[in-house]
Amino acid sequence: MNKPLKSGLSAIQQDTQLCKECDRSSTISQHKTHCPHCGTPISVRTKHSIQKTWALLCIAFIFIFPANIYPITFLVKNNEAYPDTIFSGIMTLVSTGMPGIALIVFVASMLVPVLKIIALAVISLAAHFKWKMNPKRQLLAYTIVDWIGRWSILDLFVISIMMAVFDKGNLLSVYPGIAATSFTVVVITTLFAAQSFDTRLIWDANLDAN
Amino acid sequence: MSERPALTKGYVAKCSRCQHTLYKAKVANVKKILALALSALLLAVPAFSFSLVSVHLLGVTEQTSLLQGALLLIGFAPIVALVVIFCAVVAPVLLAACMCFSSACVVLNKRPRLLNPVLKLTSVLIHWSMLEVYIVSFMVALFKLSSYADIYYDSGLFFLVALLILNMSMICEYSNAYYWSFLTNE
Repeated sequence: MNKPLKSGLSAIQQDTQLCKECDRSSTISQHKTHCPHCGTPISVRTKHSIQKTWALLCIAFIFIFPANIYPITFLVKNNEAYPDTIFSGIMTLVSTGMPGIALIVFVASMLVPVLKIIALAVISLAAHFKWKMNPKRQLLAYTIVDWIGRWSILDLFVISIMMAVFDKGNLLSVYPGIAATSFTVVVITTLFAAQSFDTRLIWDANLDAN
Repeated sequence: MSERPALTKGYVAKCSRCQHTLYKAKVANVKKILALALSALLLAVPAFSFSLVSVHLLGVTEQTSLLQGALLLIGFAPIVALVVIFCAVVAPVLLAACMCFSSACVVLNKRPRLLNPVLKLTSVLIHWSMLEVYIVSFMVALFKLSSYADIYYDSGLFFLVALLILNMSMICEYSNAYYWSFLTNE
């Protein structure tokens, strides 16, 4: 803190660490456990970052299968239940002449969760085994995953709206299926997985890159 | 790494390695945030409880509000309901309340003990407040519904859109570093 910092050298080499909470720096040697400014537990890199990311990714990977195979909603019409999986829901939208909406739902509910798991898995593998991959590209992938991830919740909101609309009418009603809960687990675990990954690890694996 | 540069207003410091914005030379307009947060809190009541749409189906008109939809889910899929309620209702309201509290602290120049956890909570909640996703979901649901029934917009929708705009301008105006520097008295 007192010494002037040199550019071009990493913060660890200069005994400095950043608090992710209050955005301030402190010396590593004097403040080993807590940030002196805000009192949050501090460490040079997020502790067990890759392990946490992997654990959450594994859960997401397991639950993505029931989420796509089992019905996500049941439409009850004349006392008969019509199950709808994520995919069949999208196909219905296409066949009723709403390809734009179908595309939004397809991207949010099918493409994004799968791509998120793949992207995070590749980035964590690269950080763990110190693969020589372009760090800027990895960071770009991470940023996209982090930003777009929240849009997967879209399908859950749609279910809640559809349910409320068809609530009182006994002729037509909508109920969530098993896949709705599985899909929620996928979305939440991938959101946490992205959060628990420390992007600085990408650069640690490529120390000689700029 | 590099020394924190002294920036003149309107400039942005970016990481030379990854181009990530390190910080912006902006002074958070605390009074503006306080006003936005207060109006967001007031608007939240009608936005969540008033009817968003009326659906005219087979001679019956049904009204739907955001809270009603979320609460109905509890009995069928509790985890889904929990996530929907948290992301669409709890997070935005709590975020407005947190910003209201921290901005009031800055305006009144008080540094209560509670300010530290409130600031930590704020940075978490910004991530989980998903009103914009809700509005898009709402449009998707309307398109799906339009093949079944006649749809009429209700007043709750206007309150919800207004709440979304307030929420987003609040988040844009907010500066995490500024509030922390106030708390640590620098």
